[in-house]
Amino acid sequence: MTLVSAPRPTVLRVDRLGKIFGSQNPAAIEQTGPEVGSEKTPDGSSVVAAWDVSFDVAAGEAFGVIGESGSGKSTVMRAIAGDHSASAGSVRMRRRDGSTSDLLTMTQSERRALRVDELAVVYQDAADGLDLNVTAGGNIADRLTAAGGRHFGQIRERAAELLERTEVPLDRMDDLVRTFSGGMRQRVQLARALANRPPIVLFDEPTTGLDASVAAGVLDLIRSLLEELGIAAVVVSHDFSVIEMLTTRCMVMQHGRVVEQGLTDQLFEDPQAPYTQRLVAAARA
Amino acid sequence: MSEPTPEAPRTEPDGSTQPQSVVLSVRGLRKHFVLHNVDGRQVDGLAGIDLDVSAGEHVALAGSSGAGKSTLLKCIYRTYLPSAGTATLRSPTGPVELTALADAELAAIRGRQFGYVSQFLRAEPRRGALDIVARAGIARGMDRATAVEAAATALRRLHVDESLWDVYASVLSGGEKQRVNLAAGTISAPQLLLLDEPVSALDPANREAALELISDLTAHGVAVLAVFHDLDAMARLASRVVVMRNGRIVQSGPPEEVLHHLEGVAR
Repeated sequence: MTLVSAPRPTVLRVDRLGKIFGSQNPAAIEQTGPEVGSEKTPDGSSVVAAWDVSFDVAAGEAFGVIGESGSGKSTVMRAIAGDHSASAGSVRMRRRDGSTSDLLTMTQSERRALRVDELAVVYQDAADGLDLNVTAGGNIADRLTAAGGRHFGQIRERAAELLERTEVPLDRMDDLVRTFSGGMRQRVQLARALANRPPIVLFDEPTTGLDASVAAGVLDLIRSLLEELGIAAVVVSHDFSVIEMLTTRCMVMQHGRVVEQGLTDQLFEDPQAPYTQRLVAAARA
Repeated sequence: MSEPTPEAPRTEPDGSTQPQSVVLSVRGLRKHFVLHNVDGRQVDGLAGIDLDVSAGEHVALAGSSGAGKSTLLKCIYRTYLPSAGTATLRSPTGPVELTALADAELAAIRGRQFGYVSQFLRAEPRRGALDIVARAGIARGMDRATAVEAAATALRRLHVDESLWDVYASVLSGGEKQRVNLAAGTISAPQLLLLDEPVSALDPANREAALELISDLTAHGVAVLAVFHDLDAMARLASRVVVMRNGRIVQSGPPEEVLHHLEGVAR
């Protein structure tokens, strides 16, 4: 058997990622998970928020992580983003210069540099990704200057271009983000995330909390941007329609473990695990 | 992965040999559903399918509903995970075993090397017809201008009115959606095309245009494995009709031999 087409290079490889909150007692692993029905140990001393999580993402590919609250999906995303430390595993990322770095063993300053132009995050709560007391233009300019931009006119021009691309009216460019609606804040977050053309963007529930029609618009925008810019993405959501629209492959998490992984259409049309079958049935009801 | 082995002439289940041109070779394909949330009920979808489809051949699957026709198509496309057996696609670079291919590799060749058109437009909310079809072309490696041109040609050929091209496809009629779907699925000819009732909602004139398009694809060497609900479409398009019952193939032969047994079964 031969490969049919040159496979796209892997840009992110998550290998046996684990995160335990509280006591780091290895016995906590056996005392938690889908079979036990909890991510928390019986004595309450540890929460195994994620364990043995492995997946990889190719250049330009969107990979989904789906699960209910407490499943560990956001823990996985925050460990990759470096928002909290991990207890086990590795997250290897292909850098712009072709080298590979383990994001879990980076220093804080290396991580800050990475987040400027190689790995961006779009959070559910815009307050996590933006400074609400700064203007829309200022939030984007901040990323551009962090990447070395010095020329005021050029920065402003690029910020305007990004806002235009994410469908934020340019006459709002100099308004404070806290005066923006939820949907508009997500668009500014997107503009900021894309500012330095990162090859990988992580999305944590990017449309949760928005009105349905607003969410649909933001989702369309994300979909178009991913397609046109060839960005690799990890999309975390509890919402099947988000995963279905944005990703080609995904995995299902429950109580901190991966219960199933596959092609997104296969996972929805022919789910194998009892838990996935239940989720799909509930989403379709 | 191991190196491709030289192809020996294959033997069809009916005893004939098909050298060289076999594009899809299905052997012992089974699908077993376990419904964990319905008392763990078990359902056999496919009970061991052997089938070859060659370049330029149109194989029509016939049989009553529940016979396993759509399940077979979905197992080949891997929308369903096959339980056992193989489905080998002859690609330009060698044979590819679809049932064993890694998810990412399968996703990469879907559309490009083997296509699937169902009777329903897949979820593409808030996008216009031309945009949907053109994006299908881009996903298959066309540049934007070429894709838009090819999309326009495909939509015109299927008589999708030009005034509808920029209207969100979700508000189109069932027949219009079906033609958009067919245009997207055929914008560039794959080696193998899987069709699941692609013309079921079309009126006679539009159905005619769709059948001609499919017939042309076969004439240009595409291997087609299709499910049609009407015997007339099968009689016109099929080089061979394969009859399924209870997840098995029970009969196979040229349409003129098989179809007259089927009156009342396939309808």
